[in-house]
Amino acid sequence: MALLPTNPQWRGLVLLAIIIVVLGVLPWTVNNYWLRIATGALMWAGLACSWNMLGGYAGYINFGQSAFFGLGAYVTAFLMGDPFGLPFSATIPVGMVVTALFAVIIGAPTLRLRGAYFAIATWAFAEVLIQFASAMDFTGGIGGIGLPPYLNERFFYFAMFGTAALAYFLTWALFERSRFGLKVKALRDHEPAAEAMGINTALVKLQTFVLSAVTASVFGAIFAYWVTFINPKSVFGGDITDQMVVMVLLGGLGTLWGPAIGGVALFVVNRLIWMYWGDTAFYIAILGTAIVLVVLFLPNGIAGLFARRKNNALDRVLDKLVGSGEGGHP
Amino acid sequence: MDLFLQTLLNGLLIGGVIATFTIAFQLAFGVLHVIDFAVGGWVVLGGYLGYYITAWLGLDGFIAIPMAFVLFGTLGYLIGPVLYNVRNSRTARPELMALALSFGLFTLLRGGMLTAWGFNTRNVTTTLSGESLAIGPITVPLIRVVAAVFAAAIAGGLFLFLYRTRYGLAIRATAENRHNAALMGVNIGRLSANVYGLYAGITAMAGVLMGAIYSVNPEVGLRYTLFAFFVAVLAGLGSVEGALVAALLLGVIEAFVSTYVGASYSLLAIFTTLFLVLLISPRGILRRGL
Repeated sequence: MALLPTNPQWRGLVLLAIIIVVLGVLPWTVNNYWLRIATGALMWAGLACSWNMLGGYAGYINFGQSAFFGLGAYVTAFLMGDPFGLPFSATIPVGMVVTALFAVIIGAPTLRLRGAYFAIATWAFAEVLIQFASAMDFTGGIGGIGLPPYLNERFFYFAMFGTAALAYFLTWALFERSRFGLKVKALRDHEPAAEAMGINTALVKLQTFVLSAVTASVFGAIFAYWVTFINPKSVFGGDITDQMVVMVLLGGLGTLWGPAIGGVALFVVNRLIWMYWGDTAFYIAILGTAIVLVVLFLPNGIAGLFARRKNNALDRVLDKLVGSGEGGHP
Repeated sequence: MDLFLQTLLNGLLIGGVIATFTIAFQLAFGVLHVIDFAVGGWVVLGGYLGYYITAWLGLDGFIAIPMAFVLFGTLGYLIGPVLYNVRNSRTARPELMALALSFGLFTLLRGGMLTAWGFNTRNVTTTLSGESLAIGPITVPLIRVVAAVFAAAIAGGLFLFLYRTRYGLAIRATAENRHNAALMGVNIGRLSANVYGLYAGITAMAGVLMGAIYSVNPEVGLRYTLFAFFVAVLAGLGSVEGALVAALLLGVIEAFVSTYVGASYSLLAIFTTLFLVLLISPRGILRRGL
């Protein structure tokens, strides 16, 4: 008698339900310290998902995703601040619109070219924003801006959880289960062929890029409100993009669950290193080593290990744990 | 007027040093088809070699130039085939994976150097440090002039090698059309490794010069990666001749913004220019890019 259904789709649904229940009751079972770590893990899983939309499904590497995360954070911090004093929920749509606007400005000309130009353009954009935010007065310069504190860890946990869940649902619905996803994958695998099939590749790429950027901006907004203080390095910094790239590569490019696996795994490693060494330089070296090793030895990421084969590793582990419905053992 | 001329001269001298490694960067892109994020890492490594030569052995910083070429050229020669194999592998997205690899290499170099040497800034000292040269009303640090001369010699040597030797011909042919070059009997894999080694060595040599002019710490690598990208975009990716012009322009822009607006705005100005060029004329101002 099997505890889990043998049909892979039902099995996946049951696993998903278990994960949602566990995440749903978590805020009432752990203390605030671990709740903050869980909130961070959800944020990074969601950010990795946002990067994966363009990087994984469309095959364009964005080295400036932190720009959009930071735009969301700065718009929220700015609008909640003194002259405006808007409520938090009202700032998010503004951040999304601003982000989408910038994404179109950067994406429209550069997404038509080779991926290298797009990589440079996005990277340069993130660096421009660091320099700009450090130089200007209305962004608070290098010192940054503070936000009105709101001390409710559960609110932020569920905000991150909800946004991340929405990001994964959108990824699933748009990239795995729709014509749009087929178009995106087609242009990734062979752009001229996709164009020959009548796909407006420039438009599809731009739509994907805007979706990815806007998702990151929502996380940035929640992050700013959560940590109550932001400065140019903390929200635009290249390290934020580095982490997203590593998480997606580690988990598996262009897979639905890869970014979640890589995001949570790397974030836990990050916290452990921080707890035991407190040394950020060492962590950068580990990130670099992780990228190199994954590219060389695990190009399909962790999710690639569990690819849908007849008897994949994940299924074997599950079978061992809960027993298989398929015969053999009397 | 004197300040104007002095700024212009300073900018051209710095631009000349930048030109050495950006030319090599373009060459590596032309052959390997990978934009190498690690370029700034090689510059910093060269700078640190120069620092240790002067601080530990008490030798003049310029001695480090040939050593940097040999040491980091060898290292690049060893890394080159890895990059080449990833770029030409049968994985789903080789271009993306190669880009990610060079990015990982850069992150690894930066993190490793920060762990090993910390955030402190080091100087490469030479016998010329602190001296200055007066030409009429203009005064420039002598070290910049000498560094620019060294840079010109390195770039000149590279151009002679590219345009006057059979191997240089093979490199240019590969950059132009890899498939046809292979048909003509060029071993693309080995040539790519050699070019990456050559590029890493030249970049590290420029790093020694940069360390002597400014100073070096692991975080400035980002700045030099930006310089390489700026030049690559302005010149058009892969255009070696355009790189020389674009690098001089970069040096001049940086000098003028630093002098007339403020040093903290120079990166902002460079990024904005880079960005506008990408928006307006993405294949480079000379429209030579691949």
